[in-house]
Amino acid sequence: MFKAKFKEAVICLGAGRVTLPYPFEPVQVPAKFRGKIKFDARKCIGCGGCANVCPPRCIVIEDMGEVSRIMFHLDRCIQCARCFEVCPEDAIWPTDAFETATPDKADLKSEMTLWMATCQRCGRCFEYDNVIDKFASKRWRGRGPGDENKHGSFPTKPPLDFVMPTSLVKESEESL
Amino acid sequence: MISDLCKKMFPKSLWLYHTNCGSCNGCDIEVIDVLTPYYDVERFGMKLVGSPRHADALVVAGPVSRQVAPALRRLYEATPNPKVVIAVGACSVGGNIWFDTYNVLGGVDTVIPVSMYIPGCPPRPEAIVYGAALALGLVPKKVAAQKEEHLPEGFDLEAYLKGWEETPIVYPGRI
Amino acid sequence: MKHQEFLLDLWTNFPDILDNYQEHVKDQFVVTIPRDALPSVAKHAVNQLGGRLVISVATDMRQKTNDFRVSYIISFDEHKKFLVLQSHVPTDDLRVPSITPEVPAANWTEREAFDLLGVTPVGHPDQRRLVLSDDFPNGIHPLRKEFTYNQRFPFEPQNAPPHMEAPEGTTVIPLGPFYPVLEEPACFRLFMDGEKVVGSDYRGFYNHRAIEKLGDSELNYNQIPFVAQQICGICGQVHSCGYCQAVEDAVGIEVPMRAKYIRSLLLELERIHSHLLWVGLAGHIIGFDTILMQVWRIREPVMWLMERITGNRKHYSSNLIGGVRFDIDESAAEDIRRVLDKVEEELKAVADAVVIDTTLMARLKGVGILTEENARALGTVGPTARGSNVAIDSRVDHPYAAYKELGTQIQVQDGCDSWARTLVRVLELFESIRLVRKTLDDMPGGPVMADIDHSLPYGKIGLCSVEAARGEAHHYILSGDENRPYRWRVRAPTYQNLQAVGCMIEGLQLADVPISIGSFDPCFSCTERVETLDVNTGKVRIYTQEELEKLCRNKE
Repeated sequence: MFKAKFKEAVICLGAGRVTLPYPFEPVQVPAKFRGKIKFDARKCIGCGGCANVCPPRCIVIEDMGEVSRIMFHLDRCIQCARCFEVCPEDAIWPTDAFETATPDKADLKSEMTLWMATCQRCGRCFEYDNVIDKFASKRWRGRGPGDENKHGSFPTKPPLDFVMPTSLVKESEESL
Repeated sequence: MISDLCKKMFPKSLWLYHTNCGSCNGCDIEVIDVLTPYYDVERFGMKLVGSPRHADALVVAGPVSRQVAPALRRLYEATPNPKVVIAVGACSVGGNIWFDTYNVLGGVDTVIPVSMYIPGCPPRPEAIVYGAALALGLVPKKVAAQKEEHLPEGFDLEAYLKGWEETPIVYPGRI
Repeated sequence: MKHQEFLLDLWTNFPDILDNYQEHVKDQFVVTIPRDALPSVAKHAVNQLGGRLVISVATDMRQKTNDFRVSYIISFDEHKKFLVLQSHVPTDDLRVPSITPEVPAANWTEREAFDLLGVTPVGHPDQRRLVLSDDFPNGIHPLRKEFTYNQRFPFEPQNAPPHMEAPEGTTVIPLGPFYPVLEEPACFRLFMDGEKVVGSDYRGFYNHRAIEKLGDSELNYNQIPFVAQQICGICGQVHSCGYCQAVEDAVGIEVPMRAKYIRSLLLELERIHSHLLWVGLAGHIIGFDTILMQVWRIREPVMWLMERITGNRKHYSSNLIGGVRFDIDESAAEDIRRVLDKVEEELKAVADAVVIDTTLMARLKGVGILTEENARALGTVGPTARGSNVAIDSRVDHPYAAYKELGTQIQVQDGCDSWARTLVRVLELFESIRLVRKTLDDMPGGPVMADIDHSLPYGKIGLCSVEAARGEAHHYILSGDENRPYRWRVRAPTYQNLQAVGCMIEGLQLADVPISIGSFDPCFSCTERVETLDVNTGKVRIYTQEELEKLCRNKE
């Protein structure tokens, strides 16, 4: 048994001190690292490709006639870089920022407002034929194909107020 | 405000209670990784404790499902004041891919108040160390929301949006 | 045995019940039988023909054929075949005779079909709710097609299923749901007679996140690999590969060879880091923190390597339908070889020290015994089964990706206890290192993504078993229109292995329960904070982590 303990002690001592000097010195991330995403509004054409492929549906596009507002809910971004892969204009890309901790969730909600061009044939922006279709689609893009008229789709209904079951409240009060 | 509270109440070091309320274990392993020799957060005096009654900070990973929500609330109430809640990972910050499904309530802040959010899937161990250091007020915040506009010169966005709300199909200045 | 001989055997024994059969892909074939014949045919397939039940799938087919469909997937490991027993269930009479009395491995999967779809298993010994939370309203079955995935239902805590009755004269000790170290929440209720465990009850599924519902109602074919990889942080690549391969097999997409080699490479690297993680955690559970720190120190360079070649430490996001998203070039291959050489050298030193350590052996030998008979009957998979002399491994039985070309050696031990499972995992580590080197040597050139130029048709069935570090993970796909699957069913290895915990911990002392539960490497590891309730006096005592560790250490 002592032989085993001796061998383990040799392993521990042989390793030496390996602790990295972070956070006292900055750290270099590898080239392929996918950190927080960044976009450039001058390059974006508002096609919605990123919104269609984002698995957590972080990217949502609101079409308002001549103006489109694109919202990025980066609090639930999984950093898969699919948006970067499908963007035809390289307008969105993952940076190497990983120090994204914050006490305020509003720091993680980015937004872009774009002015959309008009069709060269009819002179108008993309628009549904009638008001009913328009309100049914709720003006949002960023869903899979065939989802526009599904009931219960985005914006999500707010969650029910979570109420603690009364029996558990009593129990925890008694134990305190 | 949080960093002032921390500097006043925790002049020495933070004792952490780590819990997983329904995550895939990715973030949990990164939290345990922070204790291993390469990152070694114990040199700052932070350690994991075995009971919430001994803890100063709750480190929570995972989206809150309906089943685990009462247990999480009890855990929060069992931790004595003053306390800090750190939400680690995209699941606990915003609910991740399943933020709106029938069995998930969302991020951790639907059930207990959160003091520090650390996004990422999973966040690197350095990011978790940075988040803890930010909670203690040792480093400045680096992230900010990016808000950009690409509109023509002199375009009045507020007036356009107001007009849009009143009559949705409007093309000011067009046919 | 050719598949004609299989069907010949079934036809001979059950002459008038096979309506039709179809062979979808090579060694996977589907037979449709009337529902009353399910128990007898399943029993014959499992007992006489040597099959193993993998999972059962219940599907709401009202949009297509106006009824429900129940499928049982049985794997014949020696003959490398899958058999799917399908039957139709009319909508107005949603009952299916349960096969659990004949095939005990089907216990949970039939309860889940009842919970999520409303298909009642008649004759099941335990018809309680399994998956949905305790405060879910009765009568709501979310996997039915009329329910949208994001509906919010009111909280009804009175619907909690009743607890199992404790035997006479025993104390009930609840373990859970929160433990201070790294686990999913889960609740074991141990029935104790003095210091010995005489029975247990388990309430899990605290992290039911509605993944299957997302897959068939909200996300597209190419968004689902990212959901699949987030089912588990340690086996992310496994689930993502399993899903992609099931779809590719179903609709007949030919994946380029280089992509298959890259998938195998990432799978083996993931197995290496997962087993190293487990060895460290097992040491931590029994109070031996040296192993935790040293083995995780050895493991860290593997994580840095994954970040350099894929972009993230876990959740590599590498798979899409038809191939992989990035390539491994020469410098990455050099990097992998260098890191693995160092890991192998340090691992040999640790293995040498650990294998002769009598303190460890005293804690692990003879603890958590799972007999070979129980392992086969309950359908356990992975190192849990291989430590009990059951030689199954999906890389050999149902080869996928590049494993047919690589060839794997199954590591089997016959100790049936925690020590045998430890040995299996350590030997698998060395085998994985050898496989990675072979993959790098043999990798062919070519593209890494197939060209898909048509939309995927409806109605094709695809099955894929992938060997995770914990066992066999299985994916079932029924392809649909609208660019998403019609039904996607996932079975993780811990789902089968957890059902064997009951017989593993009977007769053990309380101090041995954590390492027994940890020895089959569930996606949650151990119980650390234990609350004991003495039913006679009503006094509650909380054991903290230090006290429990002291209890474990002072055992002998």
